Amino acid sequence: MKLTRRNFLAWAGLGAVGAVACEGFGIRHGELDIQSSVRLPEDLVRGNDNWYASLCRTCPSCEGIVIRVMEGRAKMIQGNPFYPTNQGKIHARCESGLQALYHPDRISSPMRRTGPRASAEFSAISWQPNAMDALRTALQERGRSSVMITEPLRGHMALLVDRFSTAIGAEHLGFEAIDNNTYRAAVKNVFGQDSMPDFDLDNAAFILSFGADFLSTWVSPTRYLRGYGEFRQGDNRDRGMFYQIDSRFSMTAAAADKWLPVRPGWEGHLAMSLAQVIIEENLAAPGVNVGSLTGGDAQALNNFRPETIAPMAGLTAEMTGGDPVEFLKNLARSFAASRPSIAIGGGSAGASSNGLFNLEAIYALNFLVGSVGEEGGVKFNPGSPWDDVPSTSKVGGLEDWARITEQIRSGETKLLLLHGTDPIHGLPDSLQLRDAIIQADDLMVISFSPFLDDTSALADLILPDRVSLEDWGDDITEPGPGYQMIGFQQPVVNPLGDLDPLSFPDVLLTVAQELGKESQLPWANFKSMLREGSDALFELNRGSIEASSAEEFWNNLLKRGGWWDEQSTGPKSVQAPAGLLKTIAGKASSPDFSGIGMDADSFYLVPFSHNTLLDGYNGHLPWLQAAPDPLSTVTWQTWVELNDKTAEQLDVKEGDILRIESSKDSIRAVVYPTPAAPPDVISVPFGQGRQYGSDYATDRPGKESSNVMDILETTRVKDTGSLAWAGTRVRVSKTGESVSISKLEGDVRAIEIGLTPAEDIIKTIAPENA
Amino acid sequence: MVTKRTEHKWGMVVDLDRCTGCQACVVACQAENNIPINTKDYFQQRRAYEWIRIERYWEGEFPNVKARFIPILCQHCENAPCEPVCPVFATYHNDEGLNVQIYNRCIGTRYCSVNCPYSVRMFNYWQPNWPDRFRNQLNPDVTVRTRGIMEKCTFCVQRLRRGEVNVERRGLEPLTGERITGEKKLNYRQMKEGNYLPACVQSCPTNALQFSDQHDETGPVKERFDEANEQIETRHHGGHVDESHTRVYRLFEEVGTKPNVIYLKKVDSFPLEKA
Repeated sequence: MKLTRRNFLAWAGLGAVGAVACEGFGIRHGELDIQSSVRLPEDLVRGNDNWYASLCRTCPSCEGIVIRVMEGRAKMIQGNPFYPTNQGKIHARCESGLQALYHPDRISSPMRRTGPRASAEFSAISWQPNAMDALRTALQERGRSSVMITEPLRGHMALLVDRFSTAIGAEHLGFEAIDNNTYRAAVKNVFGQDSMPDFDLDNAAFILSFGADFLSTWVSPTRYLRGYGEFRQGDNRDRGMFYQIDSRFSMTAAAADKWLPVRPGWEGHLAMSLAQVIIEENLAAPGVNVGSLTGGDAQALNNFRPETIAPMAGLTAEMTGGDPVEFLKNLARSFAASRPSIAIGGGSAGASSNGLFNLEAIYALNFLVGSVGEEGGVKFNPGSPWDDVPSTSKVGGLEDWARITEQIRSGETKLLLLHGTDPIHGLPDSLQLRDAIIQADDLMVISFSPFLDDTSALADLILPDRVSLEDWGDDITEPGPGYQMIGFQQPVVNPLGDLDPLSFPDVLLTVAQELGKESQLPWANFKSMLREGSDALFELNRGSIEASSAEEFWNNLLKRGGWWDEQSTGPKSVQAPAGLLKTIAGKASSPDFSGIGMDADSFYLVPFSHNTLLDGYNGHLPWLQAAPDPLSTVTWQTWVELNDKTAEQLDVKEGDILRIESSKDSIRAVVYPTPAAPPDVISVPFGQGRQYGSDYATDRPGKESSNVMDILETTRVKDTGSLAWAGTRVRVSKTGESVSISKLEGDVRAIEIGLTPAEDIIKTIAPENA
Repeated sequence: MVTKRTEHKWGMVVDLDRCTGCQACVVACQAENNIPINTKDYFQQRRAYEWIRIERYWEGEFPNVKARFIPILCQHCENAPCEPVCPVFATYHNDEGLNVQIYNRCIGTRYCSVNCPYSVRMFNYWQPNWPDRFRNQLNPDVTVRTRGIMEKCTFCVQRLRRGEVNVERRGLEPLTGERITGEKKLNYRQMKEGNYLPACVQSCPTNALQFSDQHDETGPVKERFDEANEQIETRHHGGHVDESHTRVYRLFEEVGTKPNVIYLKKVDSFPLEKA
């Protein structure tokens, strides 16, 4: 355009109007400044982020999460505020899903073993045709004598894997190093329920917990933590009272008002003792048919009088602040009077040879105080809203793994398929599964793990799966919140360009169809299988998602992260089996500590699930290795908790390496003396001691990282066949070696423990003044 | 006309009776704020980076023993001892009550760290180092700090800014994206819905950590800050505060730093007998 006087005036006029308009629009203070380099860069906000709902897979409870995505990369994980079980909250473990996604040690493509088994020498191959051909051939030739071992599965993945296993003739078993089979059996025997119950901690007035570290690792800790916060300081309610009866001072015990150290394996006897007092003193809740519970035999519980049980359970006047018998009676009275009250049992209480008796006795207390099915008590969950989709798959116990080891040794099992588990690390060494696999002449092992671990290191073929943030999935939440709920998982990012994983369920569907199994597995991919599930939910025409079409329902389902129906609750009340307490009393037995026996120079070994690494499942994630243990504050290492006075007697100090020996084997661990360990108990966390895989999991040879599973006796829990992991006695000896302990305690100088009195930092108040 | 930034005064309340020491806040903070991975060596050298840490104190001896937990983070003091000692004004107090660290100015004298009674300032003794793939997770809203400078909790100021931009400038409801018709001042509900609360608060499973504007009537901290400020006023005028009947306290109150973090006392049903 030619510059004329007229044009010039027109443009000048427009410019002036623009300038006035800009002023009028209200530009914020500082907006037009040239940014100074001394400004805080965080003051500047760039770009838009998106939040997608999905599911966390770093622990079995499977929380609802939202993931922040910017420029195609996942940046942050937080709790899904709508998700009924965790209600916007997460555990430390959830966050590290990001590190699994961007882990430097992810297996980038399919691999075939090139060296001898256990040499962990592999070479990369392509998916097509090599890897898929090898998988298909293995299934064709060995499918009828194969075993599929997966993590415990729920929802459509359980359906798919069950059908796939049936189609190829394989046995499918879920694997958990610390399985819940004994807890499930107790719930079934006491409440007649197939799925785990919910505990309404929000509304409880009294919690009595035996052995369950439910605020840290047991079953559904994020849900319980949220409820615990309300139990303590919720609006419009009085602060609840909490007793923890436990042979180890756990994070949960630390949160309790009173911790009562009990001799390992005697939790059930204590629970029966409390029941005896409640019955004898007529303290049962109104309407409770005590006669039915005792089978009409008022004397049924006479063997469990506190006078008999207190010394057997190792209670002393020092522990109970007076006469232990009177303490137990008072505890029974408070528990019965402070309704609604809940009795919870799990963890080490269910992990001795008499674990099933212990848990049944504990859960039966809930009938006496009338908290079964009630607000503030034990609530039950309904089954799956889908008829054909299992809410849970079978999880094997120690007996199953012993049988499978034998099958491998005898050559009966010729193919092992592994997904989401590391049984070599998670089973006692004395079972010799590793040796059986290495020595088997005609065994093929195929792993679908995205990371190398102790079991996949033995594989012939590794077909890396996608990680959860890249893949589809669903979950029939267990334990649910008392009503039906399904979580949905969607891929929030694509795998990075240098990675070539394939979704495990998609691989199964593809290969099944290549093998002519379309009739059992007709879906094109896992997403279409889930979509079918979504359409079925839409047809139910109930629940949290409103939509006018199946397509809209699917979209809303993914946006919300799941579907739930508060009206579809589990049974509101459950009838106790007649003579329940009498039946349980008949099962009573003392815990079995075979192995090195009860010599005076030996200790009870009470291992525990690591707060962040759990049983070792998260061992390769550095945030979780570096998260201090809440009590010892130790990171990265395997420590042994030893009573400080006992440590003095043994002449060991913090950082010394101790040899811990059972009748099976020995391990080494770094000493952490603590005032909270009972003098006759030592505790070692599960989770460390991996031999293969990421440096984050393995780069601390023997003396600082070891697997406590290696020394456990193979004692089984009676009637469930689970590993009695708290049923081992050990001896300890000095090695003369010492290391610098890797812990947070003492990391800061100004508020250092020992220099500043705790009461100056953490102030307390009496309940009546709070 | 130039519009003024909406006034805020941020504050946090830590309820020790709810805290179980679970470490959710610690890991959430590390993910949000690009904190280097704390290796075993860092812990052994007593140089681990934790902008929020859970301290654990033992009390008593077996069998009458307790473990007490306290989350400790930058207290964002009104009278911050770290601020006047910085020779280059790298640390200052902003108009929203935040104690702010300007990384570009910091020359690493560590005077601030020495002067902080809470030991919450972390010095970068090493160049932060992540394997390449982990870098994909780094938060683009947060600077990666270099070797030789000081860092500490910012109350996740990048989240507060994002909330202010979306709610106060763009006028959008965080959850629905609908236009706000009434007052456009970032409130507690919007902070919760939009993930604008500090990462530790957002993650805390027991709700032991609470955060909002100290003047926000709808927020969870106003009542506590009013009570704490009243205590300060009472003491200032020579009055007596009955410590045994209030849960509110500030860490090292006697130092006079007047933190913007308030603690609520742990309720102790069975106190140990003091020797």
